Amino acid sequence: MSTQHAKAAERFIRNKAQEEWHNETLRLVREKRDRQALLLPCWEQLRQLASQIKMHTITHLDKYIEQFANQAEANGAIVHWAKDAREHNDIIYAILGEHQVKKLVKSKSMLTEECHLNPYLISRGIEVVESDLGERILQLMDKPPSHIVMPAIHIKRQEVGKLFEEKLHTEKGNSDPGYLTHAARLHLRNEFLTAGAALTGANFGVAATGDVVVCTNEGNADMGTSFAKLHIVSMGIEKVTPHYQALSVFVRLLARSATGQPATTYTSHYRKPRKGCQMHIVLVDNGRSDILGDADHIQTLKCIRCAACMNTCPVYRRSGGYAYTYFIPGPIGINLGMLKSPGEYYDNVSACSLCYSCNNVCPAKIDLADQIYKWRQQLYSLGKADRTKKLLSGGLRYIFTRPALYGAALRLAPIINKTPRFLIYNNLNAWGKGRELPAFAKESFTRMQEKGKIT
Amino acid sequence: MSTKNDILSNIRSHSGKTYAMPVIEPDAIRYTDTAARFMEVLKSVGGSAIELQEGEDINARIMSLYPEARSIASNLPEIRIATINPDEIATPHLLNGTALAVVRGEIGVAENGCVWIPQNVKEKAVCFIAEYLLILLDKNNIVSNMHEAYAKIGFNDYGFGVFISGPSKTADIEQALVIGAHGAKGVVVFLTA
Ligand code: SF4
Repeated sequence: MSTQHAKAAERFIRNKAQEEWHNETLRLVREKRDRQALLLPCWEQLRQLASQIKMHTITHLDKYIEQFANQAEANGAIVHWAKDAREHNDIIYAILGEHQVKKLVKSKSMLTEECHLNPYLISRGIEVVESDLGERILQLMDKPPSHIVMPAIHIKRQEVGKLFEEKLHTEKGNSDPGYLTHAARLHLRNEFLTAGAALTGANFGVAATGDVVVCTNEGNADMGTSFAKLHIVSMGIEKVTPHYQALSVFVRLLARSATGQPATTYTSHYRKPRKGCQMHIVLVDNGRSDILGDADHIQTLKCIRCAACMNTCPVYRRSGGYAYTYFIPGPIGINLGMLKSPGEYYDNVSACSLCYSCNNVCPAKIDLADQIYKWRQQLYSLGKADRTKKLLSGGLRYIFTRPALYGAALRLAPIINKTPRFLIYNNLNAWGKGRELPAFAKESFTRMQEKGKIT
Repeated sequence: MSTKNDILSNIRSHSGKTYAMPVIEPDAIRYTDTAARFMEVLKSVGGSAIELQEGEDINARIMSLYPEARSIASNLPEIRIATINPDEIATPHLLNGTALAVVRGEIGVAENGCVWIPQNVKEKAVCFIAEYLLILLDKNNIVSNMHEAYAKIGFNDYGFGVFISGPSKTADIEQALVIGAHGAKGVVVFLTA
């Protein structure tokens, strides 16, 4: 029996060259991340600290989010609270209406995707312009992102060339990335200069100072907010961080984990509105406070949305973002989807080989794979488990709940390829169907990690 | 107001076990020659740094680096060749078309090539809209890592500040790195003694 994910993955892998490219490209991003991590002897310490700081912060969230709001208000920002997506959208629409804004320029925000803000505003007559290049490409194509950091990773340059030919009147047949990026720069510059409001997400909100911190490589958040008289920040309540000391840990981890850069080009601190302008911050719950009460899944709230877990995930790399039914793909998306609506998104829990690579790269040390395993167990009570899944989780459970055996199986894997083949690459894992059995690494991941080759 | 209270009380009603804040003292990397490391890393992210000699004429150096630059935006008194003062324009839109912007950075960070630039002009647009960005930085103000940087950064009354690490970039088309997405296409840091 095939899940939605398996069916979509099958479509993705039918284009062999594209699948190879996707897999290879993201593997290289993962490698870049490893190189950066190895440059810092304190990398594992940073991950541990990030995890602890987040656990502290989210278990004192009432205190920190209120402190952040008070501080931001003292700085001159206007703070709004939104219980759910609908309130978030209503608030933003009301702010735009009050200022008679016709055009909103946006930098990347997964939260506004989560709230379906764009269609909401567009249907009410607001022109919405995404300004991150990847997001803009997808918006012009009327497609959703397939990755949370590299949204258009699944689109080929020729497709962008054709799209720009039609929409931005670029030269026919020119699909050079430099040329196309330059065309987008000119096109979006005009949008920045003419938009009535700029919306940004928030990578972090600093409780002690009220700063909203936004990290980009393109500079689009800064361009938007430099011209429009209105800056709207859409921020999930879990994005709050106590102070600069804590922030420094996350800033060091974020870009290195995401793209293997030592820092994003711009790490912008928005503390006060520009002179004569307004800054509105919309703090959004939308289910986050409920997750606090879920001991099995509370750790999802530690996520800093770096996408390292996607880049390392063998299933994601081989199946692409659209294979998942939730808008955030990969290991974190599987979990967030289940937390949002298990009945709707249970399909994705099969998109995991329980290789645990995500747990090992996550800068906040979220127990991603353990959580996915738990969801699989719960599928029975949800009435969503079929025989395949029963067998799958049964077999894996046996081995994953016995750390010694798990270690042994992996260490032995290079010698006895058949054992893990049965457990991992067989018909039980529908997304793996029709694939060559990948050669196991000469050394197991855990071994390499012990020897310090992987961190 | 009531939504705020609803959210806060929902947070409280779902709170269980609490965790303590750890002591944040990682064995963060420290460089003996922070300027050398800064220059190296900045180069690796597409920027460059130039050490100015004592007594060197900044204006002459800028002109030799950017002979084509017709419009130069800066509010720094020592930049005599500036053609636009971003403190004196009516709207930031007038900065569109600026070839070069010259701003002062306050802290350099060796581990990632970042320079902290607290907004010190009326229009922060100047840091982003110019085709090329030149940052003046005192060589003695380069720290090793972000922990040290965050312990030192300050703001002016404008209430905005940004760490900039090299030129604006994107890899959104097939992961091909392109310099000059929306912000500066080139970033040079002048290190002064
Ligand atoms: S779960 Fe971890 S690795 Fe995945 S996006 Fe979030 S922080 Fe990054």
